Amino acid sequence: MSVLQNILVVEDNDGDYETVVEAAQRAGLLYQLRRATCGDECLDMLHQLVKLRSALPALLLLDLNTPGSDGRDALGLIKTCRKLRTIPTVILSTSSNPRDVDFCYARHANAYHTKPVSHRAHLQTLQDIFGYWLGCALLPTGTR
Amino acid sequence: MNDFSAGSTMHPWANGLYSIKRHGNSLTTCDSEPVHAPGCIQAHGALLVLRLTDLAILQASDNTEQFFGESPGVLLGQSVARVIGAARQAYLQNMLLRESLERNVLYAFTLPKREGKAALDVCIHTTDGVAVLEFEATGRQADPAERDYFSLVKSAVGRLQSASATGLRKFCELVAAEVYKMSGLDRVMVYRFHADQHGEVFAESKRDDLPAWLGLHYPATDIPQPAREIFKKLWVRPLQDAAGPLVELVPLANPDTGKPLDMTHCALRAASVMYTEYLANMGVAATLVMPVLVDGELWGLIVGHQYKPTSFAYQLRAACELIAQVVSLQLKSTEYIEQQAYRLKMDMVHQQLIAKAAQNGDLMAFFNGQPTLLDAMEADGAALFHMGRWWRVGCTPTDPQLNALADWLNQRAEFDQGERPVYATDSLSRDYPAGADIANVASGVLAVRVSRLRQDLILWFRPETIQTINWAGDPNEKTIDTGIHGARLTPRGSFELFAESVRARALPWTTLEIESAQRLRMLVMELVVARAEQLAELNIDLITSNAELDAFAYVASHDLKEPLRGIHRYAHQMMESTQGLDPANRERAESLMRLTLRMDSLLDSLLHFSRVGRTNLDFEDVDLNSVVADALEMVGVRPADKACTIVLARALPVARCNEVRVREIFSNLISNALKYTRQAQPRIEVGYLAPAEPGLPANAPPEASGQMVYYVRDDGIGIEKRHFEQIFRMFKRLNGREEYGGGMGAGLSVVKKVVGRHGGVIWVDSARGQGSTFYFTLPATHHAQP
Repeated sequence: MSVLQNILVVEDNDGDYETVVEAAQRAGLLYQLRRATCGDECLDMLHQLVKLRSALPALLLLDLNTPGSDGRDALGLIKTCRKLRTIPTVILSTSSNPRDVDFCYARHANAYHTKPVSHRAHLQTLQDIFGYWLGCALLPTGTR
Repeated sequence: MNDFSAGSTMHPWANGLYSIKRHGNSLTTCDSEPVHAPGCIQAHGALLVLRLTDLAILQASDNTEQFFGESPGVLLGQSVARVIGAARQAYLQNMLLRESLERNVLYAFTLPKREGKAALDVCIHTTDGVAVLEFEATGRQADPAERDYFSLVKSAVGRLQSASATGLRKFCELVAAEVYKMSGLDRVMVYRFHADQHGEVFAESKRDDLPAWLGLHYPATDIPQPAREIFKKLWVRPLQDAAGPLVELVPLANPDTGKPLDMTHCALRAASVMYTEYLANMGVAATLVMPVLVDGELWGLIVGHQYKPTSFAYQLRAACELIAQVVSLQLKSTEYIEQQAYRLKMDMVHQQLIAKAAQNGDLMAFFNGQPTLLDAMEADGAALFHMGRWWRVGCTPTDPQLNALADWLNQRAEFDQGERPVYATDSLSRDYPAGADIANVASGVLAVRVSRLRQDLILWFRPETIQTINWAGDPNEKTIDTGIHGARLTPRGSFELFAESVRARALPWTTLEIESAQRLRMLVMELVVARAEQLAELNIDLITSNAELDAFAYVASHDLKEPLRGIHRYAHQMMESTQGLDPANRERAESLMRLTLRMDSLLDSLLHFSRVGRTNLDFEDVDLNSVVADALEMVGVRPADKACTIVLARALPVARCNEVRVREIFSNLISNALKYTRQAQPRIEVGYLAPAEPGLPANAPPEASGQMVYYVRDDGIGIEKRHFEQIFRMFKRLNGREEYGGGMGAGLSVVKKVVGRHGGVIWVDSARGQGSTFYFTLPATHHAQP
């Protein structure tokens, strides 16, 4: 409990990451934000944590369209891995394509949100996500 | 041939032999009359029957005394030399040895004229083991200068040969005219026998003062089968005095065999009693008949009538015989040419129809514009069952009658046979009891099925024959004294009998027509198959391009939205920056944010529009009343608010459609009605017009006919006519961006697309300041699958 819990954010767009940081500040989160810019990097970080038997992120915010191995691949691997699949994984994407939405839920994403163009709405969406997952919901024990 | 047997107990001459003179008047039907063995000859000539072995006289006509000065009683058993002399007997013997005389009449010699008696031309033929000598004054050796038959025939034949390409009718008219001219008869007709054996006066040439019989029809029984058989064996049949006396053969039976003489080939053969009575009723005294044979079958007759007894000269008979043969040969080619022309015409029109159908992508082309299905085949009406409804042209049964007929036809085995899936009848009511009700339009039906899976049919119709015949007045208006059979044996009687015989019967479909119908069927099926293949290919292309488009739309919107979000964020941050903006820059930053949001909405609309066109729609029966209630709620209309008046003229029906999309139609139209108005309390009417109900505006498209038409009517600002098309275009706005509550200008294009996905049409009727009414249809039936 001595160390702050982690939130892992997979986001290649700096602006969007800034918005996440801004939303986290506004929400007054006592969590440490960590960033990966693509799916591969995210997976590397998670495997490292497993190897070191460190606490897994309390929440994973996953952008679908990242360069290289994208969020879809990462989601598939995370949700098929016995050790990683309990991490609450929230998809954040510009795409409202029902195919993407269905794809993600079929691979056991925990929630799917679109990023609104309006900055204010974007911040609100993120604050809502933080409020729900880190405030309302009870999380699995492995993330501590 | 008729099975005449002398021993039949049915006939009054059962115990003896038939003689027309003794028994003729006891006949009641033509078919029972032994026309080939009447036992009598016409009185203007004499006849001797000789035993072939010794040329002894076996039978003699009962008028030999008048011709040769000795009665049959004296002549019977004697050598024929007693009549013609030894030299001519030797000549006959020689002929019998050398010539082929069996059933073949040849001229032998002429007995020179004696005091008060004309020269007698003698013809011979053999039959059933006897030689038949016919003596007749035909003027064979008379002065030929009276009429030059040779050149008459030659020029007539020339004209006939060059006329064969002018069509059957014209050719036959020429035949009648030529024979009329050459023979000097009062009337010459060409009879034509139809497929059912009934006859028609097909061409006629006559004295001007005589009534026309052209176009008269008479029943098959008027020329009974035995008579038809005889006409297949001769080229000319003279009857010089129909009412004249008859002369019996003595004895009636051949003493060697006990059989009556077969007189099929005798020119002197006495005419049928029915025939002579018929002629007497018409006032006709003499006839000359020539058969017209095509491929050995009796096609018709050339019939000459004379109102006074006459004698047909040898020259005339020979000329007529030649004409009959020429006509027979020529007719075959004329008929062939005419049939080919008909066949070509049918096929040509059918091909035009197919070309039209291929172009329009629809078989409705058979009925719209020129030509139609009726321009090919000789029928009075035609109908096609296609796309779940009937398409009709000409005289046809009504839709319900056609439905019943099609149900019945589809049960028939014909259509399941691979070889000839055709149903053809000239008497529908014979096969189909309900056909009696439609006999006046559809006694004749020719039907082909043009699709394997769906039950699409093409039908042709012909009315009762009787309705297609021009009954050119009564040829026998004045009361006449008729014979023992009364008015039956008159043209009028014949026609009535004929009319009765063709009740509920149409002209039969010819092989040519049935084959043409089959070819059309093949063409239609090929067209359908070709279209199905095209569609399959298009579908594959469409699926690919749809998928690509889908990906493109999302990628484009995603890729466009990401920078947009960035712009918006920076503008936002500018606004909130602590340094403070001067009012002008602040305004600019605000505009920047507003514009990015607007662009975001445009992208969403575009995405939505493209999805409406491509996603699969499921159709179900939907209560439109609840759809409209939901739509009102969606656009924020609460009846209690009294902000506007919503009028539902009457309860809406249940429609087969996609509920979500149709709700979108109504919500878009209602929200437009609320937006584009200056009324404090706008009035919106939602309703429908059932098919054939009045009230459709003049600009209703043809596709709307026969459909349920729904409408949303407002009392808003209205739309000018020149904008009627534009309003349905994507992102097209007629008013300023911020007027009337703004909007993307995508609503109506989405509505139009949704209506299109239901197979329907949408249009607007409006005028500036007069309010607008949007009309649309939702057929939906044939779009259940994408």
